[in-house]
Amino acid sequence: MINLPISIDAIIPEITLACGAMFLLIIGALSKRIITNTLSYAAVLLLIFTFFLLVSLNWDTSISMNGFFVMDSFAGLIKSAVLLSMAGVLALSTGYMKREEIVAFEYPILVLLSTLGMMVMVSANDLLSLYIGLELQSLALYVLATIRRNSLRSAEAGIKYFVLGALSSGMILFGSSIIYGFAGTTNFTAIAEAFSANPDMKLGLSMGLVFLLSGLAFKISAAPFHMWTPDVYEGAPTSVTALFAIVPKLAALALMMRIFCEPFMGLQDMWVQILWVLSVASMLVGAFAALTQENIKRLLAYSSIGNVGYALIGIIVGGTGGLGATLYYFLIYMAMTAGTFGIIMSLRREGASLEKIESLEGMSKTHPVQAYVLAILMFSMSGIPPMAGFFGKLFIFESAIAGGYIYLAVLGVVSSVVAAYYYLRIIKVMFFDEQVEELQYETNVPRDAVIIVSILIITGLVLMPEPLLIMTQNATASLF
Amino acid sequence: MLAALIFYLFAGILSLSALMVITARNPVHSVLFLILAFFNAAGLFVMLGAEFIGMLLVIVYVGAVAVLFLFVVMMLNMEFKELRKGSMRFIPVGLLLGGVLLTELVIVYQTWKINPKVLTETLGDSAAAPEVPLTNTEALGQILYTDYIYIFQGAGMILLVAMIGAIVLTLRERSGLKRQKVADQQKRQASDVLEIKKVTPGTGI
Amino acid sequence: MAFLSVFSPLIAFFFAFLFGKQLGDRGAQFLTCAGVILAAMCSCFLFVDVAINGHTQTILLMNWIDVGGFEATWNIRLDTLSVVMMCVITIVSSCVHVYSIGYMSHDPAKARFMSYLSLFTFAMLMLVTADNLLQLFFGWEGVGLASYLLIGFWNTKHSANSAAMKAFIVNRVGDFGLVLGMFTIFVVFGTIHFDEIFAVAPEKATVLFNFMGFQVHALTLACLLLFIGACGKSAQLGLHTWLPDAMEGPTPVSALIHAATMVTAGVFLVARFSPVFEYAPDALMVVCVVGATTAFVAATIGMTQFDIKRVIAYSTMSQLGYMFFALGVSAYGAAMFHLVTHAFFKALLFLGAGSVIHAMSDEQDMRNMGGIWKKIPFTYALMWIGSLALAGIPFFAGYYSKDIMLESAFADYTWFGHYAYWMGIAAAFMTAFYSWRLIIMTFHGDPRANKEVMSHIHESPKVMLLPLIVLAIGAIFAGAALYKPFVGGSSHHGADDHHLEVDLHHSDNETEHHNNEHDNDAPVLEEDHEDTTAWNRIGFWKDSIKVMPENDTVEAAHNVPKWVKLLPTIMGACGIFLAYVIYLWGAGLAGKFTKLFKPLHNLFFHKWYFDELYNVLFKEGAIGFGRMFSRTDKGVIDGLGPDGIARSAVCGGGILRRIQNGFVYQYAFIMMIGLICLITWVVFGGMQ
Repeated sequence: MINLPISIDAIIPEITLACGAMFLLIIGALSKRIITNTLSYAAVLLLIFTFFLLVSLNWDTSISMNGFFVMDSFAGLIKSAVLLSMAGVLALSTGYMKREEIVAFEYPILVLLSTLGMMVMVSANDLLSLYIGLELQSLALYVLATIRRNSLRSAEAGIKYFVLGALSSGMILFGSSIIYGFAGTTNFTAIAEAFSANPDMKLGLSMGLVFLLSGLAFKISAAPFHMWTPDVYEGAPTSVTALFAIVPKLAALALMMRIFCEPFMGLQDMWVQILWVLSVASMLVGAFAALTQENIKRLLAYSSIGNVGYALIGIIVGGTGGLGATLYYFLIYMAMTAGTFGIIMSLRREGASLEKIESLEGMSKTHPVQAYVLAILMFSMSGIPPMAGFFGKLFIFESAIAGGYIYLAVLGVVSSVVAAYYYLRIIKVMFFDEQVEELQYETNVPRDAVIIVSILIITGLVLMPEPLLIMTQNATASLF
Repeated sequence: MLAALIFYLFAGILSLSALMVITARNPVHSVLFLILAFFNAAGLFVMLGAEFIGMLLVIVYVGAVAVLFLFVVMMLNMEFKELRKGSMRFIPVGLLLGGVLLTELVIVYQTWKINPKVLTETLGDSAAAPEVPLTNTEALGQILYTDYIYIFQGAGMILLVAMIGAIVLTLRERSGLKRQKVADQQKRQASDVLEIKKVTPGTGI
Repeated sequence: MAFLSVFSPLIAFFFAFLFGKQLGDRGAQFLTCAGVILAAMCSCFLFVDVAINGHTQTILLMNWIDVGGFEATWNIRLDTLSVVMMCVITIVSSCVHVYSIGYMSHDPAKARFMSYLSLFTFAMLMLVTADNLLQLFFGWEGVGLASYLLIGFWNTKHSANSAAMKAFIVNRVGDFGLVLGMFTIFVVFGTIHFDEIFAVAPEKATVLFNFMGFQVHALTLACLLLFIGACGKSAQLGLHTWLPDAMEGPTPVSALIHAATMVTAGVFLVARFSPVFEYAPDALMVVCVVGATTAFVAATIGMTQFDIKRVIAYSTMSQLGYMFFALGVSAYGAAMFHLVTHAFFKALLFLGAGSVIHAMSDEQDMRNMGGIWKKIPFTYALMWIGSLALAGIPFFAGYYSKDIMLESAFADYTWFGHYAYWMGIAAAFMTAFYSWRLIIMTFHGDPRANKEVMSHIHESPKVMLLPLIVLAIGAIFAGAALYKPFVGGSSHHGADDHHLEVDLHHSDNETEHHNNEHDNDAPVLEEDHEDTTAWNRIGFWKDSIKVMPENDTVEAAHNVPKWVKLLPTIMGACGIFLAYVIYLWGAGLAGKFTKLFKPLHNLFFHKWYFDELYNVLFKEGAIGFGRMFSRTDKGVIDGLGPDGIARSAVCGGGILRRIQNGFVYQYAFIMMIGLICLITWVVFGGMQ
């Protein structure tokens, strides 16, 4: 063994991923032919390999890399989820990219690099590593949103996302600098110590945190920082939209949990109020604005806004119960979204991808299996028992009640009742409306596999909701 | 006294030129004011003893970024007045918001005092520092690849992504372009391209 | 035994749904029918075991969720209340399953239909055997889901689709109440298990809640919220609009779900929560008033409708109203009694109506029927039996149950009890009237259908008639047979004096015992009550229903004045007579009456304008609200349309211009405003 001055054991998965991504990049650049598909499969394998490396690590809490990097069971769980869901998203998108003739071989590379960014975020123990991770992740996503560069809408989505994302990065940086100015350090542990030693820096830290929080709220598209979401979801290629909807928000939520529980636990009374506003606004926007949407991707954008609202409830409640419920909820949401996007990407009408909800008309007659699968997903999304989505909501609301946030729970139920309407509309269109034009379902083995896995997760959790919940709760226990 | 004077000079020009960047009508002027702002900021850094960052600002921001801006602005040749229209609507509200934010920042600044722990730590460090003080460059070099290797490499990955992004989004292989292919040229033989035909007068080919 | 009774429909559903093609129609039909009939037999056995032999038990299936202070299990709770429900569900469901073989014989998707029916049966069984609120909610949503699928089963019919949608949405409103009720109970009791809730309910009777700045009695709030849930499922006034529209589904579905079982889930819920409702008298009052009003309003609408199924649907709603006002006066036993008898005779009526519709080549409008009784005598006779039971004619099932409910209401001696009694009497009159209006318009008079249809009229096949006979037996005998265990300790007051004397004697005894109990201060439901045999309502219901001694209206109902007991029957007879006068003997009288009461008729015919009102209030409102949101959200983009812009922008400069056009500014601006608001809040909030 080479004796290194600093231990790199904990970041072996990150290093593997980075080196693998660069290796694939070189292969892609040197290859004479366009080998996007091969690279995608290689990237999926790389992600899964990284996942196994991660699992083989010791998940006990340890801080390394000069205090920039923390590894604990929370980070371990989130990173595993990120890696696996990214692998799933890549598997979903291969067929789609090929069909839509998006041939850039950089696509899987960028996905890998943004995964790397998310892993850095999740393990951040310092404002610097937080920012580096966030920026790595976002920059790759900006490019992905624009990857269909010949499409005006894709380009527009990318530029919008980029400009607004830059604004949010600016907020995060500004906030970080304020925090640094007051606390004199960027390290999370040191910030917490500094604050407990000098409570009079509360106002300054609060202000810094608000900036930081607003920037992060942009990343998870919580209202009122959600404006980009529908436009970008609509404009980006569907496979990229799936990525946006499924993975990055988990990383950002995890990051939020960490900064609330570690450096800023002392400011709890302040950030709880802010999250309260964000959560309620997101739930209401998600529920009401989606009512009039005709475009599936826009609808899912509002749906994700609403879901972030529910997820925030758990963070507000705090403790292992609340945070565990949030993670649980969001993991289920990810599985449901993956399945939904899988089906949507597989469907075509007259050779073009689906955009409008009404294009699903009469799907139950021509493609009954897929229609039932989508119906299960929609029922689950709207939180109707016995689907898994119901348990997600149940645990969130239960934790809210147990924590004394009854109004939040009530508002949550109101908005989920309203939101049920638009999920249901999709089912209605599929099952009860007359078909006008023929729909084609394209089978694609990796994509169908993802859909099947997502359905298995959703139905499996009905009977056994508990193990996952215990897992998430144990993971969050390492934050305290 | 003199230091204070120079500080206020730099700071004053910096603020003024920053203001001019966003108010100047001609975009080329804006970029020029930006360069001026960078120079003044560099001067401030030098005054702080951070000569490395000061020079970095001059070389990277002035030398590369701002000049690139200038090129872009000149090449695009856009009607900036028209572009400005959209943003003008927001000016009154924007000023109001800016004012509010500024007041709040001032209020928060009132509560600022340096974290005593930081003070003792840095002082303690400097007491233990070697006789010959390190230059900025050396000091950065010592920690950049050791203590900050993680962040440094992370930043490297960001730049890699930026590079990939720029290539993905702009590099186009255009079809129908005529390129010189020497090998093809040399392989070419008269028989491939020339055909000899006998033409009888008055008939055409 | 318990496993078989609950899970055999589920197994049947799985096989029929997944392997419908392989099994073929016959196989799927056989399998599902076998599953449900097996469940029915097991349920009857359980009924004997639990209700009569008193082996109340709770079977733990598996631990489900156990996190922190929140735990839930999968259970099969077997007490009298649940086995009664199980019997009703499985027996009616078996009849409907068998009937469907004949009724759906022309439908291409038989296997799917049968599997949905089985799914529904399973969900309903899950609901009634639940031991905690979560499992109950599970079943509750499950039946809603099955109902949604079945109402919209004929998905080529536009009206069926919108009816399914409407049913689901209205039910969501009710479910919202139920969920909030569950929350409230969890907050107050800290558990969702029935036994634990019921055990501590008396202690919580004084808990006050601070809700929106008001001091609210916690149990009343919880009960009212649960009642909103019950209203949604059981189509009580306000949330009833979905039920008549639900008749767009196939008739067996209407019989099973929208008459016999699912709609009574609300009644079951309130009865199940009787130990809590008993401590929330204000909630009971609301239940009573809503129930009584529903009974009346639905009956008025039923008199004016022409669609044969809708008439029966409104009658269902009206009868549900009866059950609710009985619950409201603490006569839970009486309500359950009516629930059982109603399940039989209403399913009979629906299936009979289905038989008529089948015979008339899918005609549902009574104005196009008439004069067919000779052609389908069997159906005709069965419809008579059903109607007699519905109208409460002596010795049919409905007579016993309806009378005891009305008497209980009267015996409550409160303003709302009397309100309920008089509303009920009025509704009883109208019930009899519209029942015979239905019979006369459908079967008597001159044929109004065209020749072709008339020539096709045929009696239904045996497979459809057999279930009808089973139900008819129930509709005739269920009342007399179940009277004693459900509500009695004494026989019913007949019209003749001899019975009455015996009865008075009995009631004296009862009163005496009653007094004794007061002296001992023992609750009425003590096991060691003087008469512990199952043939007494106290020994029968045991702990599954709780009535406080001072609220025991069923007891008091046996001692009400004679005229109170006779009035419903008399009114029923009058109603029948009037129907004959108007529709059979006096030709043209109907039109005259309609003209005479034009405004009133309009009001009834348009269902008191509920649909119109809701359309204006909610549908437009919600959509407008949504539009408002998406408008502020997207700025002007929608006006131009994303496609429109993409088309108009041609080159790269176009994109840039578009970006600069203000949208990004706008978004950035809203972000900044949000940020600054938050900062202002924190800074000024933090300074104080």
